[in-house]
Amino acid sequence: MLGVLRSLGVTMATMLRKPVTIEYPTKHRKVPERDRAFPILLWDFEHDEPFCTGCHACERACPVECMTVTMMDNPKFAEGTSKRRKILDEFYIDYGRCMRCNICVEVCNFDAIAMNNTWTGHEMSTVDRKDLVMDREQLLTLSKNMQIRHWTPE
Amino acid sequence: MGLLLNWGMFGVDMNVWLDAFLRLQLIVIVMTVTVMALIWVERKFVGRIQMRLGPMRTGPYGTLQSFADALKLLTKEDLRPSTADNWLFELAPYVTFVPVFMTLMALPFMDGWFVRDLQLGVFYIVAISGVTVIGYLMAGWASDNKYALLGAVRSAAQLISYELPLILGVLSVSLVAGSLNLNEITLQQDTIPYLVLQPLPFVILLTAVLAELSRRPFDIPIGESELVGGPWVEYSGIRWSIIFALTEYAGLWAFSILGALIFLGGWQWPFGTAAFWGDFAFVYQLFLVGLKSFLIILTVMWISATFPRLRIDQLMSFCWKILMEVAFLQIIIAAIVLVYLDGAARDIALAVTSFGLLVLMGYMVNKSMQQPPRSERVSPVFAARSET
Repeated sequence: MLGVLRSLGVTMATMLRKPVTIEYPTKHRKVPERDRAFPILLWDFEHDEPFCTGCHACERACPVECMTVTMMDNPKFAEGTSKRRKILDEFYIDYGRCMRCNICVEVCNFDAIAMNNTWTGHEMSTVDRKDLVMDREQLLTLSKNMQIRHWTPE
Repeated sequence: MGLLLNWGMFGVDMNVWLDAFLRLQLIVIVMTVTVMALIWVERKFVGRIQMRLGPMRTGPYGTLQSFADALKLLTKEDLRPSTADNWLFELAPYVTFVPVFMTLMALPFMDGWFVRDLQLGVFYIVAISGVTVIGYLMAGWASDNKYALLGAVRSAAQLISYELPLILGVLSVSLVAGSLNLNEITLQQDTIPYLVLQPLPFVILLTAVLAELSRRPFDIPIGESELVGGPWVEYSGIRWSIIFALTEYAGLWAFSILGALIFLGGWQWPFGTAAFWGDFAFVYQLFLVGLKSFLIILTVMWISATFPRLRIDQLMSFCWKILMEVAFLQIIIAAIVLVYLDGAARDIALAVTSFGLLVLMGYMVNKSMQQPPRSERVSPVFAARSET
């Protein structure tokens, strides 16, 4: 019988606590620094070009084959303003295929690819799944606008 | 024609029928708004108990959620099973709702404001609120659905059982007050509310209200996990909203006002009928009655958000083996005290005996909670089986 009264006390104490609910679409909980959304490319501000040299390491390592990379000679190397001989030409990632395994980030020799650690990486719903195939510019936008929080892969 | 003239709602002489009609209109409007507000309050309150926010999107803090729900329910398709008994199926919601609405007719919301001032107000309310069960039975039978029928039979058993302790408890208060008129009962509580003199009937009333409205922990007739939705499985749209929302929450409102009037002193306690604002004292009275009934409503919601559903034999045992006994004892003891004692001694004796009976009830509940299930007590075979 006292347990009955005690349980009433428990519910009342719970009522006075702060709700744990976050009103999701309008309020976002801060995502962890190493949160894995989808891979994006990083921009090298020193040389004003992407870090990526188009070496295909990530493409070969990708278990779901969602990436397509092409390489070209770096015009800035010819000018002498950059040390990169080769630079990426086109880069496509199909986010509809990607399983966010982080292997591309692990294998990259130039730290040129990283996992999106902002909410924009999670809210990707589109009407047409073709819109989930990202090209070079889309992959670089976040890094160019400094919207991705800095994080160095180990 | 003199007989047909009444003092009218706003001090204007008018025909009794017109007067009653206007009062009923007022009650209908207030009841609808109250029901919507109560649904919102319950969702918010239960949400907070479960550490959620409750509705937040529709309007500021979700205040318009009930209106959105009402609009949705009113515009939904009104489905009816092809094998249903048409007349019973379509009439059942009204039969469940009308008794609840009729209880509101004898309740004084402020001093002397009824639809009709009934000398047998308490009797009328307990009598009329028992009719609801017929609506449940009609709904369950007419739906041609085994879950609905099971729910209806269960609700018949439960509602009829819990009607009795409710009546006995309220009767005990009437005995102490010496009146069945709600206005008079309320006016007598200028110094001590009857909650102090009669705590046991108040607890009985709370329990009975939970059972009458089929709320947790007494929601056996509805029992979402076993009976889908009880008597109203097959209902949808406007009929469902009449049965569920209107009946349940209007009933909650009516019973809570009844409790506020006869136990918490209504508008009378603690400062007297015309304590504030002179001619506009009715605003204060309305506020006080509203506040007290709101506290009772919150208590009911609190209890129903806390406890899990009882088993049906526990439900029946609790009613017939515990509540009935203490209710009868309460009446007998109160009658003896009223005959032999007077003045302050009477009040003290009433309070002490009623509180003693409350403790006795707690002890009985405790005792029965520690007992093994009936199957094990009756049959040694069952006991042996459950030990292994």
